[in-house]
Formats: sequence, C-alpha cells, structure tokens
Amino acid sequence: MQPLLKVQALSKTFNVRAGLFSRKKFEVLKNISFSVGKGESIAVIGETGSGKSTLAKLLSGADSADSGQILLENNIIENNGVRDNQCRHIRMIFQDSGASLNPGLTIGDMLDDCLLYNTDFEKLERIEKINTTLSKVGLLIDHQHYYPHMFSVGQLQRVALARALILDPKVVVLDEAVSSLDPSIRAQIVNLLLKLQRDTGLTYVMITHHLSLVRHISDQVIVLDKGEVVEYGPTESVFQNPQSKVTQRLLSC
Amino acid sequence: MQLLDVRNLTIELRTSETVIRAVDRVSFSLKEGEVHALVGESGSGKSLIAKAIVGVLNERWDITADRIHWRGVDLMRLTPEQRRKTVSQDIAMIYQDPSRCLDPTAKIFDQIAETLPEIASKGFFLKRNRERKDRVKALIHKVGIKNHEAVLSSYPHELSEGVCQKVMIAMAIARTPKLLIADEPTTALESTTKAQVFRLLKSLNQLKNMSILMISHELEEIAHWSHGIHVLYCGQMVEAGPTHKIFSQPRHPYTQALLKSLPDYEQGLAHKEPFYALKGTIPTLQHLPIGCRLGPRCPQAQKACVVTPKFTKHNGHSYACHFPLIKDMR
Repeated sequence: MQPLLKVQALSKTFNVRAGLFSRKKFEVLKNISFSVGKGESIAVIGETGSGKSTLAKLLSGADSADSGQILLENNIIENNGVRDNQCRHIRMIFQDSGASLNPGLTIGDMLDDCLLYNTDFEKLERIEKINTTLSKVGLLIDHQHYYPHMFSVGQLQRVALARALILDPKVVVLDEAVSSLDPSIRAQIVNLLLKLQRDTGLTYVMITHHLSLVRHISDQVIVLDKGEVVEYGPTESVFQNPQSKVTQRLLSC
Repeated sequence: MQLLDVRNLTIELRTSETVIRAVDRVSFSLKEGEVHALVGESGSGKSLIAKAIVGVLNERWDITADRIHWRGVDLMRLTPEQRRKTVSQDIAMIYQDPSRCLDPTAKIFDQIAETLPEIASKGFFLKRNRERKDRVKALIHKVGIKNHEAVLSSYPHELSEGVCQKVMIAMAIARTPKLLIADEPTTALESTTKAQVFRLLKSLNQLKNMSILMISHELEEIAHWSHGIHVLYCGQMVEAGPTHKIFSQPRHPYTQALLKSLPDYEQGLAHKEPFYALKGTIPTLQHLPIGCRLGPRCPQAQKACVVTPKFTKHNGHSYACHFPLIKDMR
C-alpha cells in the first residue's frame, strides 16, 4: 500500500546561547524517517527533551526543518525547510485546549476564520460546513454561538477537534491531546477519534506518554531518544520484544 | 492504631447567592504504615480534602466535620497554634505543580534548610552551619538527585519539573513525618521519572513505616502498591475498600466505568475497539444534581437515585449506591 505521509531524513537544529557572545548548535532531531498509511495511527514516545514536540511542530508546519522532506501522497510539501502552503492537510491538536482557543471569539467565528483564510467557500457553504463539522464531533449546531469558557474540558477537546477537522485534513497530529484528560472523558474522546478514523480514514500522529493508550490505539510506534529514532516498528512487536535499552526502560515502568 | 480518622467531612463554599457543597460527608480512616489512595476526576474535591486535613484552606471555605482525629486528638478542637504545631510535626504534604509551589526568589538550598527541624547542637555557629549543609546534602541524595551542588545553588525556574518534584519530596520528608499527603505527585512527569518517584515513595513507606495518602486521577498508577482505595465523584465518596476488592469486584457503576476505561485492565478488548464510557460530562459545582451525583450519567439510574444513597459496608468494602453491581464483572 502506498503510504499517505512519508517523512525522509528530517533534521532540526536550534542555536542556543553558550556564552556571552558564542552560540552553540543543538541538534533536536537527527535524520527522522517514517511512513504512515491511510487510516493508520503512529505513536511517538520518548522522554522529555527527546524532540517529540518539535517533530509535531515540524509536521504541522508551525516550524520549518533544516533539511529533509515531508511527503503527503507522494507530493513534497516540505523540502529542506521550504513549505508548500498547504497547512490544511496536516492539522494539530494541542495539549491544553482551554488555553489554545481564543477566548474572545465564539466557536462559530473561530471555525469560520479557518475556512475564510484557507478555502474559497461562499458564506452559505461555510455555514453548512461548520454545521456538519460540529455534528461530526458530537456537538450541537447551537454550540457555535458559545464562547470557549462556557464549555467543559471534554467539550473543549471536541471543539479543538472540530477546528482541526473543518479543513478536511488527511493527517491529524495530537500533541498530548488525550492523555491529559480525566479517565471517563478520555474514554469518550478516544472512542470519538477511533470512530472518525474508521469512518473517514484519518491518519493520526500521536505524541503521548500514556503507554497503555498507545498500545490500544496505534499501529506503529517510534521511540525517540535525544533526537534519534532508536526503535521503529509495529506496536505489538515493539511492546512484546523491545530491542533498545531506551525502549526497555520506558516500557518497564 | 488508627492514625487518621475522618468522619463526615463537609467542605462548603459560600457565594453571594447560595452555598456550594464541594465535599459532601466524606469519611475515611488510615492506619499506621498504610498507603491509601483518593481517586477521582478533576473537580471531585480530592485536593480540598487534603488541604482541609492539613488546615491550609482560607476562610472562604466552611469546614465542618464530626471528627478529624489525628492519633486520637481531634484537630478540629485544637487552637490554631496547637493545630499548626501538631500538623507541622507529623504531617507533610507534596503539593500539585511543584515548580509553582517553590519560592521563586530563593535558592533550593535555603528552601530545604528552612524545613529542617531545629536540633540542639552545641557547637559554634560555623559548626552548626556545616552540619546543616551536610543534612541538606543527605536529604537531596536520598531523593535521588546526584549533582547536588548544581541543584542546591539554583533557583526553581532553572530546574526541570522532575527535579522540582524531587526537591518538594525532600522538603516533605525532612522532618520524617508520620503521614505524607501526596497531591498528584506525578502528573507533570514522564514515565521514567514517574517510576523513580513511585519507587522512592514506596521505599519510604516500607523502610520508615510512613503512611501515605496518595491523591491521583489515574487508577492504574497506584493499583499495585496501595492498601486501600477511596473513589470520589463530585465530592461524594462513592466506593471505598481494599485495593484488590475494588479491582476484582467494583460495586459502584462509576468505579466500574473507571476500571473499564483502562486498556490494561479490560483484557477482552481488541485493538482499536471503543472503550466503555459513561455518557455526559462531569457537572460543574454550580449545577450539581440532587441525590446521587452520578445520577444523570449513570446507566442504572432509577427513581430512587434522587435521594442520596447511604454508605453500605460489607466486609470492609463500602459503597454508596441504591443499585450496586452484585454479579462479577466477568
């Protein structure tokens, strides 16, 4: 099967201050390569500082890489740090949805902005699209007149999901989006994510440290350590038979 | 011997219009050397209970209780000075969000040195100073920080969350308390540091015979080493009992839902199959339902549920439900 998302030799370095005038290069990601098929999920695990969140930012286009390519359906969307302006195909959901939504905009306005800047839909089409997206994530159409503070945590996560899904993306990047929720709400959101994947063939890139959830949801696992891929393979084989020291340490606790 | 014994603890918040009952008649007790867990989702009043025991809630909250006995002494009847003395001697608390609870303007060394108990040392002040330094160093080694010089001479914002958490633990165990209240000690940490913190707490429990009251929203984290679990929902205690009984035979629909949302526990679940989830969301404190607070979300709810259910106790396993789950889960 042709992979949907393909990442080839992605690298990223940051310049950090080393002294008064000198600067030091700090490699966050070194030669990351992986591929995911349509309707599959890939999980990225690793300790803090291993470059998980940087990878998420690079994938969603919030930051640009130094070298390497990102391919979506065999079209290069990022080549050596130059991004094709197609942010609509890879969307991201953040950890704290309460803090990542604009408190001054109603949900409807916020979703409308997404469509206004990324599509050439007419007014009526946009309203129609907002309504279908809201019902897709299990919210009511009337919720578009609400402000973010009027929602509970679980509903906010649904709003964040609606904002990601409104542009019909092919890949959704979840940066700790489910593991920070309360157990009963987490179960609801996970069910919703799984249902959307089954129905529309979405691809998820999950960044999390909740290992039992990774085992349940994802098809493949990448283990990162200090910016390098130390292990990459199908979830079950990685969990059953971890090869590297880092993975063994992560899984044993 | 009963270390801590709390009966009908109620915590209320007075607002301009109404009185919100955030914690509704919670009772539990803790024996010496035991590890107990308070489990519940956010807003279920776990942290409030811990703060009420330690006595750090401000006067906006009304705390009433039949008794809060600490080794036979009722904390509610002591004067504030006496109470502070007893609590600071025997109870220590690890607060949520360690990097925010440490003093941002003082170095780690000064903060830890401040918590050390006074010792009647005879020497000169130079000798006393050296002694204090040694004791701080020993404490910080005990919680698993190796490069003590760098850590002790830095400010909290320069350290990672995991190290801050360890510093908090070091400050908590400085007086070798009888009871340690740990309020979500591992939420901010990744899995390897989390395991380290748990190992540390476990060894303190076994070697020093220190009782621990763990507060967490994840059932699985504390399942392996706690003696008892108390499940809270929206300020009501819904189920309490020994850990193995709660896991093997949950009586309350909410406990069952919590257990079933764990992929580790629910073994019959195929890959990518949906979890069992309760409908709806946690009610806010302003709009609490009457009677059993799980009522609107409960799959078994019936007419009788508008009356608050009584606590039924059976072989040390107690639950508050009109229609408990009698048959085994599997």
